[in-house]
Amino acid sequence: MKTARVTDRISGEVVAEVTRDATADRRGALVLPAAGTSTAHPEPGRTRLEVVVDGWRFEFDIEDADRADLRARAARGRDHQSQHGPTQVRAIIPGRVVTVAVAAGDTVEAGQQLLTVEAMKMQNELRSPRDGVVDRVAVAPGATVEPGDILLVLA
Amino acid sequence: MRTPPFERVLVANRGEIAVRVIRACHELGMEAVAVYSDVDADAMHVRMADAAVRIGPSAPSESYLLVDTIVEVARSTGCGAIHPGYGFLAERAAFARAVEDAGIAFVGPSSEAIDALGDKLHARRLARSIGVDPVPGTLERARIDRPDAVAGIVADAEAIGFPVLVKAAAGGGGRGMRRVAGPRDLPAALSAASAEALSAFGDGTVYLEREIHPARHIEVQLLGDVTGRVVALGERGCSLQRRHQKLVEEAPAAGLTTEERRAVHDLAVRIASAAGLRNAATAEFLRSPDGAFHFLEVNTRLQVEHGVTELVSGVDIVQEQFRIAAGEPLSGAVLAAADRAATPNGHAVEVRLTAEDPSRDFLPTPGTLRRWVMPSGPGVRVDTGLADGDRIPSEYDNLIAKIMVHGPDRDTALDRLDRALGEVEVAGVQTTLPFHQWVARDVDFRAGDLSTEWVGEHWDGPAQRSLVAERAATLAALAVLETGSGPSSTAAGTDPPNSRIGRGDAGGSRMSGWGTAAREAAVDRWPR
Repeated sequence: MKTARVTDRISGEVVAEVTRDATADRRGALVLPAAGTSTAHPEPGRTRLEVVVDGWRFEFDIEDADRADLRARAARGRDHQSQHGPTQVRAIIPGRVVTVAVAAGDTVEAGQQLLTVEAMKMQNELRSPRDGVVDRVAVAPGATVEPGDILLVLA
Repeated sequence: MRTPPFERVLVANRGEIAVRVIRACHELGMEAVAVYSDVDADAMHVRMADAAVRIGPSAPSESYLLVDTIVEVARSTGCGAIHPGYGFLAERAAFARAVEDAGIAFVGPSSEAIDALGDKLHARRLARSIGVDPVPGTLERARIDRPDAVAGIVADAEAIGFPVLVKAAAGGGGRGMRRVAGPRDLPAALSAASAEALSAFGDGTVYLEREIHPARHIEVQLLGDVTGRVVALGERGCSLQRRHQKLVEEAPAAGLTTEERRAVHDLAVRIASAAGLRNAATAEFLRSPDGAFHFLEVNTRLQVEHGVTELVSGVDIVQEQFRIAAGEPLSGAVLAAADRAATPNGHAVEVRLTAEDPSRDFLPTPGTLRRWVMPSGPGVRVDTGLADGDRIPSEYDNLIAKIMVHGPDRDTALDRLDRALGEVEVAGVQTTLPFHQWVARDVDFRAGDLSTEWVGEHWDGPAQRSLVAERAATLAALAVLETGSGPSSTAAGTDPPNSRIGRGDAGGSRMSGWGTAAREAAVDRWPR
């Protein structure tokens, strides 16, 4: 691998492309393998790491930049065939599902409340990232969810 | 060792405060009985106690809030006293009464005092009756049930001066509270606050208070015994808050003269004496920009932040609680500490490390601790109920550790705080550590220029996080580029690269990505 592409696991954004000659201050930093939750394991070729710098915690997927480009092209091809791919709405915090406001087949608008997840006595409302139709609801009230778990899928 | 106040004590709480109370029990030669919910079966307070009894499933309403169950456990295990900690049942008069009725000592104020002071309107009237000024506002409940009374409430608000706060008489933590900018919004705010208070506290009584802005939050630690004697051990400054939750506390409060300290201690002692308070409690005040102290409320329990007062007064407040509960008068050591309460020994600061993301509006972040190193060394005290590998349950409070420092003066204490926070290593969950590190170094905080609005006006979490994102990403990439597959659990910068596991792995294209749980477990056990 010549160049490593680093992607934020939660946001999916590319944070950096790094070559072997790069340097970074290691003081105050922790680097360790990502936790082994059910959804934490990426596909082969990608390494998932947890990095903590000055108390800020990141989860990154690291892979060969050339390889990532190849995959991106392949994915674009698939998307092209199906017009728009489905959107998976995932949990960003662990907790318990309190309410589910939509059902499969419902038409939803961007910003519409989909479900509520309770964590540490606070209720967090999860809203739709885009307009669409609910293809599938993967959780029911009372379910315990971990970050990355699929909550529902928009067609 | 002196005769223990009790032979055996039940600790009706969990987490760091249960651990704190168990420590006091053991230092006094008493046995501690813990109670726990299912999710806490292996928790530190259970491991540390001399006996532990399961009281139910994880939901607080089915475990730590069960009055009859907890009293029955205390009776059947032969406990002479119950310490409620803070939160859960600590300020429920019905719990204190049930404990008293069972012939067990409640380690806290009497059920009558909890009742009387828990009603903020009652406490405000009590303060006024002895010549202590409460925060300006009304002293009787707002009659929101009577449509003809609305004009009167609006007139009250006009007299107090907008913006006013609608507050719940039974309230706390900002619930049942609304800020109202003008008379038009008042009726809606009254009914919303009342409904919220009714659902949160079972009592929809609301009243009006002036919004003091900017305000400093000053509170006074009190101890009282059965003879009716009440003393102040000193005050704390708790102005650093977010949504009415304290983030940083210090003792003494910054920026008060010795005379001002004495004055606010005296106000607190007068209110507590008039209320017939015994055991530990805290009187809270708001200080307005003109320097005046306005009485806010009395909390009839041990406070989260009692430790900073312990550090500068030399008094173990929890041990004193047990002695008082056993009927002993205030000790000579307590009276001596009270005499020098306005001239405390140095300065102590506490930060509340919580499982919250300070870049996402302090969103809760429950999870499992994958690395847990707390600071130590001169002048550092850490109160926690967690250990490496523990899960932070989503059912309870998200306080994970109280990190306290003590130094000869405020500046030295803050330097020490900065040093101590630099030793913290936490992985697995996002904590408020970056916020606290920023506070410890912030020029305005150093200058003592504080108010309860300070956090909202000064902290930009997303910006702070983005400052280190690229460095974090580079470190992650280098870990993979240098070794072929990433690290074991090592602290970057302390371990040489060749100590990392995975070094012998084949090139990047065939990396396993740590794909199996078994391998993960093996890596976690690698010597560090």
